[in-house]
Amino acid sequence: MINIQHLKKNFGQNEVLKDISLTVNRGEVISIIGSSGSGKSTLLRCINLLETYHDGTITFEETDILKFPQGINHYRAQVGMIFQSFNLFNHLSVLQNCVIGQVKVLKRTKADAEALAIKTLETVGLKDFIQASVSTLSGGQKQRVAIARTLCMEPKVLLFDEPTSALDPEMVGEVLQVIKSLAKEHRTMIIVTHEMSFAKEVSDRVIFMDQGFICEEGKPEELFLNPKEPRTQAFLSRFIQ
Amino acid sequence: MILLSSAIPNDLLGAAYYLAVKYAPLFLFGIRNTLIIALTSTIIGLFLGLAVGLLKSIPVLPDDPTWKKFAIKLIHFVSSAYVEVFRGTPMMVQAIFIYYTFLNFFKLFPLLGSYKLTAGIVIVSINTGAYMAEIIRAGIQSLDKGQNEAARSIGMSNFQAMFYIILPQAIKNAFPAIGNEFVVNIKDTSVLNVIGTTELFFQANTVAGTTFRFTDTFFVAAILYFVLTYSTTRVLAIIEHRMQVPVSGGPSSSSTPGLIAHTEKQV
Repeated sequence: MINIQHLKKNFGQNEVLKDISLTVNRGEVISIIGSSGSGKSTLLRCINLLETYHDGTITFEETDILKFPQGINHYRAQVGMIFQSFNLFNHLSVLQNCVIGQVKVLKRTKADAEALAIKTLETVGLKDFIQASVSTLSGGQKQRVAIARTLCMEPKVLLFDEPTSALDPEMVGEVLQVIKSLAKEHRTMIIVTHEMSFAKEVSDRVIFMDQGFICEEGKPEELFLNPKEPRTQAFLSRFIQ
Repeated sequence: MILLSSAIPNDLLGAAYYLAVKYAPLFLFGIRNTLIIALTSTIIGLFLGLAVGLLKSIPVLPDDPTWKKFAIKLIHFVSSAYVEVFRGTPMMVQAIFIYYTFLNFFKLFPLLGSYKLTAGIVIVSINTGAYMAEIIRAGIQSLDKGQNEAARSIGMSNFQAMFYIILPQAIKNAFPAIGNEFVVNIKDTSVLNVIGTTELFFQANTVAGTTFRFTDTFFVAAILYFVLTYSTTRVLAIIEHRMQVPVSGGPSSSSTPGLIAHTEKQV
């Protein structure tokens, strides 16, 4: 579904992605782990074209994402992104956050958009907060609204950029619960996370990134219990014990 | 003239009251024009500032082709020049310069029968636009860049993200500064006296010239200006307070324990 070939990206002199090749299959849940600065988030942002890249290609359903016939915005609408800092639209209510993209981008009617938004907000457990103002929500609730906002666009792929890193420990669970239920629906997802036990539980495949390279990848039980590369072993030693 | 003015009481308050009543139509006409100029110029200036502020916010991306970088930098230069020149020179000088440069143009478009009113609105609008551009740019820059990224990530175009997501929040955040410009304009229209626009200061000057009671007349003018600015400030404060209630993006979880407890049950 997504095919990345020899992707390279640098910020000035700093090479962040050195040579990344990765194939994501339909319905697959992939977790990307690694230390801060290893390029995990940048890779995700390149897939969504929030960052430009300098070399290599990314194809989505056999089409180069830079040459999408209806333009980049049309491509982006099919790839949902959930951010570490939620990035909810602060001037809109919970419901409007989930409606505006459907109406302005997908050109749905307001009634259709609201119906889907309400249904989606119910599935993430926010039925009672539909008319709430964003500023009254807790972090966990905000992130669930952000997930609902993305789901309302009915994207073919979901990208999670450290979805629980900005949350209080006691709110991590409610967000992971929602992501787990999405994984069970066999959606295509790429999750950048520091939650190792969560990654182990939901992923079909885990990728360990280090210094701009994919250092090791494999099934979660292999990679977590029996990592082959010394760098992976060092990184995971802290979590395994 | 001397005989006329001798009927005016000699104490400040008495004289002020006498003049305010006797020349009420003149003062009211001045107030009318002052408010018309201040309000329309603030609104036109806001749109001018929006346009220039947006132009100044176009980013130069390292991956843009050279011609595009050049064009954007040129746009930045022209908008910056406009802002700096009009903020860096006195409005009184701008008024005379613009008025005499475009005199024939203004004469073609009289408003409410006065081309000097047209000129006044144009001058104050251009001046306000320069200040508004900075206010809008600061308002846009105060927003987290995640707002734009989130908008783009759900497929919005640059324009849609700006129009539906960024600007509403930027204007909301900048509302106090925008309102302040209106208050400043009520006072600053007085410099239009130099081109003879019949605003409040001009009218006061006329009354003072007729009665030779400068202190008393301008005491009336001062009170009238103060009533205008103070009531405007109060009204703006009320609007601002109403807008503030649901705004602000900061985490406020600690202030809503009831909601959190409720969610925990749901999950």
